[in-house]
Parts: sequence; C-alpha cells; structure tokens
Amino acid sequence: MVLLAKIALGFGATVVLAGAYTFREGLIRVDVDETRGQGQHVHVWAPAAIVPMAMHFVPRAQMLRAGEHSAKFMPLVHAVAKELQKYPEAELVEVHDGEQYVRIRTHHGNLLIDANEPGQTVHVSCPLSTIDDVSRELAALAPAS
Amino acid sequence: MTHRTRHLFPVLACLAAAFLFAPLGPRAQTSSAQSSTSARAERWLHVRVISTNSKGETVRVNVPLELAEKVLPAIDHDRLHNGKVRIGCMDCDGVDVRTIFEAVRSSRDGEFVTVQSKDEDVSVMKKEGQLLVHVHDKKRSKDAQIEVKVPMKVVEALLSGSKDELDIVAGLHALAGQGDVELVSVKDEDNTIRVWLDSKNVTTD
Repeated sequence: MVLLAKIALGFGATVVLAGAYTFREGLIRVDVDETRGQGQHVHVWAPAAIVPMAMHFVPRAQMLRAGEHSAKFMPLVHAVAKELQKYPEAELVEVHDGEQYVRIRTHHGNLLIDANEPGQTVHVSCPLSTIDDVSRELAALAPAS
Repeated sequence: MTHRTRHLFPVLACLAAAFLFAPLGPRAQTSSAQSSTSARAERWLHVRVISTNSKGETVRVNVPLELAEKVLPAIDHDRLHNGKVRIGCMDCDGVDVRTIFEAVRSSRDGEFVTVQSKDEDVSVMKKEGQLLVHVHDKKRSKDAQIEVKVPMKVVEALLSGSKDELDIVAGLHALAGQGDVELVSVKDEDNTIRVWLDSKNVTTD
C-alpha cells in the first residue's frame, strides 16, 4: 500500500513538474469564431514553451527557407517583441469603426489581439517572450544581406 | 529523522520543486514590470482620432517613446533607413530649410509668418522654445482649427542628420526629454485629432 502511494506520489509530482515546466511561459491561444456562412470555429491552445523547443525538430532546410522568407520583417518583429516585454500591461491600439473593432494590447507579458466584425471574432494571445525567441531564431537564419 | 518525517520528505521535496519552477514566469514578468515602471519615467506618445460621423470611428494609439526609438532603426523600407527618413526637398525650390531653421532658432520669440485670407489664416511663430503653427480653415461650414506645437530641440534633432534626411530617432529622443505637451490638435466638423506626449500608458480622455 505504502509502495503504491509512493509510486502515485512520484507520478503525480512528475506530472505537476512537467505541467509547471510546460506552462511556465504561458499559453499561445488562437480563437476564431465565424457566425456567418459555414460558421467555422478554430480554437488552438498550446503551451508557449513547446514552440522554441519544437523549432529544433524542424528540418534545417525548412527553417532556412522560413528564415529567408521572413528575413525582411523578422528583425522588426524581434525588436518589437523584445521592447514590448518592458511594457507587460499596455493598451497599444484601439480602433472602433462602426461594428468593427480592433484592440492590441499587452497583458501579463502576453500580446493580445482582439478583432471583431459582424460575423467574425478573432482573439489571439501569445507570450511576448515566445515571439522574441521565435523571431530571434528566424532572424538568425536569414541570409546575410 | 523519525519514521513519520521520513514519509513526509518526498512530499516536501515535490512541493519545494514545484514552488521553485512554477511561479518563475509570471513572477519574473511582474517584478520586471514593476522595476521598469519605477526605475524611469516612461514617456508615451498618444494619438487619438474621434470622428463624429454616423459610424463614430475612434482610433487610439499609445506608443512608448523608448520602444519607438529602439524599433525604428530596425525598419528598412522605402525612404526609412536606420531611423532616418530620406526626403528629397530639404532644398525646396532654392529654399534651404536648414538655413531657415537656424535663423529661426537663433532669433527671438515672435511671429514669423502670418497669412490672412478669405479662406484661411495661417501663422507660424516661435514662443518659449517651441515652434507653433496655427491654421484656421474658414472654407468649411464649421471652422477647422489646426495647431501644431513642436519643441525647437526636437526640430533641431530632426535636422541633425546628414543633408536631405530627417533623423526621426534623434527627434524622438529629444521629444522624450520634453514635458507633457500637446503636439498636434485638429478640430473640424467631422474629426477631432490629438497627438500628445505624457507619462501615462493609457488614453485618459
């Protein structure tokens, strides 16, 4: 009985630690809800920590191509993400245009983008540190100009 | 260690490890946010556009000046390179903008340009270290007022680059050293536009 309890405790502790490690950088969240036409709904929730990790498993050729394609704007994305980390709580852009609405802000170190228009709602949330990591990696892969 | 405490050891070790790892992200972010806020006075550039048409469009943009200073050099597009904008008319029709600015800078406060016509009144003046431009458009049903206020130090910084370019980053840096100031104010029958600088990270209007 005691042995079983110890195994359960060890397993539980491992799960807790793995969960804490995986979610330590927060979540990447993409929610797209269409209420018009077919009414597609896309909901993606993924731990942010796995993204930089997963990039190491992408074939080198694919990464180089991604770096090449994003070479123009990735240094800018990297600079913005790096600087925005200094402003974890900020309202950056808010636009109301009739029934359309766009809001870009940072909250708890995440970049949040909310966009609403009749028939469609989009919410994106991504930790700035993840954007920083990914953009840095991609910028480093860009061919030297 | 007693038999009882020996059983508690794995639990304590697990809790200690969880405390060590789990709160790292949020706590680090919060503490860095607090330290960054308190360490220096942040300067924010605000843009607000409110339209009084049927749709009632509003635009609010808040940009930390420091962020703009750091990010602009990363943009390499069209005429903007390394935080500087190349413009081809610093010597427009034989009028050297730099020479005129030098003359204005070294002169005393006063009104340099006054144009009064049936359609609009325009005045350009220097007052207490600031360059002020006022336009009163009388053509519309409701009069439009445009006011632009630029600190002379900012203009000087903008013109500090080489010929035919404006050093935007230097201008922003100079702007950061200014107090709270309303840079642009436009009021007409359809829109109210304001561009101003302060130390708040939200638009309080």
